[in-house]
Amino acid sequence: MAKILGIDLGTTNSAMAVVEGGEPKILENQEGNRTMPSVAATSKSNERLVGLLAKRQSVVNPKNTIFSVKRLIGRNFDDPEVQRDKAWLPYDIQKSENGGVEVKMGDRWYKPEEISAMVLAKLKADAEAKVGETITEAVITVPAYFDDSQRQATKNAGEIAGFTVRRIINEPTAAALAYGLNKQKNEKIVVYDFGGGTFDISVLEIADDTVEVRSTGGDTHLGGDDFDKKIIEYLVEEYRKQDGIDISKDALALQRLKEAAERAKHELSTAFETEINLPYITSDASGPRHFAIKMTRAKLEELVAPFIDKSVELVKNTVAEAGLKISDINEVILVGGQTRMPAIQEAVKKLFGREPHKGINPDEVVAVGAAVQAGIFQGDVKDVLLLDVTPLTLGIETLGGVMTPVIEKNTTIPTAKSQVFSTAADNQTSVEIHVLQGERPMATDNKTLARFILDGIPPSPRGLPQVEVTFDMDANGILSVKAVDKATQKTQSVKIEASTQLSKEEVERLKQEAAVHAEEDLQKRELTEARNEAEQAIYLAEKAVREAGEKVSPEIKTAVAAKIEAIKGVKEGSDVGAIKSAVAELSLELQKIGQSMYNQENGKPDNPDAER
Amino acid sequence: MDDDNKQQDTEEGAASVSEDVTAQLRRERDDYLEGWKRAKADFINYKKDEIKRFSEFGKFATENLIRELIAVLDSFELAIPKETDEQSQRGLYLIRQQLDDVLRQYGIRRIEAKAGEPFDPALHEAIAEVEADAASGTIVEELGPGYFLHEKLIRPARVKVAK
Repeated sequence: MAKILGIDLGTTNSAMAVVEGGEPKILENQEGNRTMPSVAATSKSNERLVGLLAKRQSVVNPKNTIFSVKRLIGRNFDDPEVQRDKAWLPYDIQKSENGGVEVKMGDRWYKPEEISAMVLAKLKADAEAKVGETITEAVITVPAYFDDSQRQATKNAGEIAGFTVRRIINEPTAAALAYGLNKQKNEKIVVYDFGGGTFDISVLEIADDTVEVRSTGGDTHLGGDDFDKKIIEYLVEEYRKQDGIDISKDALALQRLKEAAERAKHELSTAFETEINLPYITSDASGPRHFAIKMTRAKLEELVAPFIDKSVELVKNTVAEAGLKISDINEVILVGGQTRMPAIQEAVKKLFGREPHKGINPDEVVAVGAAVQAGIFQGDVKDVLLLDVTPLTLGIETLGGVMTPVIEKNTTIPTAKSQVFSTAADNQTSVEIHVLQGERPMATDNKTLARFILDGIPPSPRGLPQVEVTFDMDANGILSVKAVDKATQKTQSVKIEASTQLSKEEVERLKQEAAVHAEEDLQKRELTEARNEAEQAIYLAEKAVREAGEKVSPEIKTAVAAKIEAIKGVKEGSDVGAIKSAVAELSLELQKIGQSMYNQENGKPDNPDAER
Repeated sequence: MDDDNKQQDTEEGAASVSEDVTAQLRRERDDYLEGWKRAKADFINYKKDEIKRFSEFGKFATENLIRELIAVLDSFELAIPKETDEQSQRGLYLIRQQLDDVLRQYGIRRIEAKAGEPFDPALHEAIAEVEADAASGTIVEELGPGYFLHEKLIRPARVKVAK
């Protein structure tokens, strides 16, 4: 079955996603961007432009660059909303034959759905280029407050673009799908969508089979753009105070200011202060002038507080309209780029007394949800295919009492992983496989799932045998651990029932413990590794001296023996640094053995420096 | 006679039930096999994609850095013509050249929009429209250069266009 495209057809920007490998994935467009301006234009040279290109020439072609057509689609010309927008939209709008809306682009009048179809057609073409196959079906999102006529018009836009529209779904519902909240029956969810140009609130209730919209609210003319405007106004004013010049009249200065304002807004979401630095912003009789000003997060929050406060009031109203109290709300979802602002996240958290869901990119969450819906239609999301993950790391105990992971936590199952291990001592003929579960680096701090022994390993120097250990966990969480000696093919295995499955609370508790002990656990592990290295170094050194035999002078042998003693002295202590430097010194000393042997080969004396 | 029929009915009944079950099992099996093949194919495709992704990543890893640097480069563009002292101007020019040379190694190319060229939204962004002694729709002035990263336009040239 071909892929179905999930589309967020936004007022200012659009995005699209498909389900790939069971996961929704945003598709980049031809320009390499994850979102696209919902703009179409007929250029001065009569070329049809859509998306970013259309936006780039909007300043020189305002009458023929159609943006925000979503404000008009499916509406009657006499709608107060249409009349209000007509007053500020730069392109021509007229009443159509049947009382609807028509816009002029180039030398023709178009229905709003024809304009949206151009945007959708570009999304279709770019998606097909990205996935390498034809896409004929789509799921398109609309605001929850859209009426039948607006929904039908949106559907028509999809069909004009060449799609069979499988479904029109509500934007807040898509957001809930994206977070998987549609499975939480009877819960009440608020979606707080603060986009570029509009602010939408929806109160949803999860029914048995559907997501019900209890109420909607918001402000169709409140968005992140208003925040940018406020910042620009502030900067223009500050500069006027500084140099007495109004830079808003200068096209380039204003453009730079806009970009700086946006950059500052983004930075202040993570930093408490930012610098707006615009050299050569303008010039006057005395020469070039510069504008550099610091802006704090506090100042930004002060500037936009009225907008945020308004949004909170609107949320309260909308929840009341649903016949609910704030305390009835179980989950809150944040949508729209502007919700990245800490002040907004704080305001929402404070209002509802809970953390809102914001893990998914707020600019993309609606498209992701549309793709989830598309995936359900495609059959990609069969219940039977819902895969689990193993919540805790699984591994075995290795040299020094350390736990070596074989399957990391959060690995999707069913899965199988193998690793090759070896022996710790010369002539070791059996290995004990101690199967562990947990997050702590030291074996004793984790849970023992099983122990078994594989014997019959041919006597060999330590580190030579190859024992392949395979962990295989099936979809039901049953773990099989097998150990095979590659030389003899001798095998031993054990099967561990999933009755060792821990509850969600226990898993959380174990993870917390690991976090709390992380520091000391790390030190323990470093110490163990240092000691292992030390032992290995001693073993190799003794072996090297033995093998060199008569070819190496007694001085060198004594020096090496001294370094070995030095290591033995610190090995049992807990000074990692001391162990490491003792090992390093032995290593240097050992090199002299090789040097000496090569010198003898070449007839050079052992100590060339002494001759001088 | 009746008993025989009954037995036959039951046998036929049993046979048809078992046929239904078989048909259903066949469907289920086909479903599962199809799903399995699909998942395997998705995975293989993902791996192929990953090779592409890594090479893309290598090329465009610097993209974010470059985008941030562009504002700095813009400042140089503005500064150079404004410096009245010849040595200072040359100094700034040389610093800009240094930057340019480094960026070129990483695949950054500057595009300059010349006055008189037709405005092309694939390369330019119109910042303002002005009255000018030039053909309508042509570039009057470049306010800032555009930049390509390999074959991707990461910042269009900013221009003033004739009305």
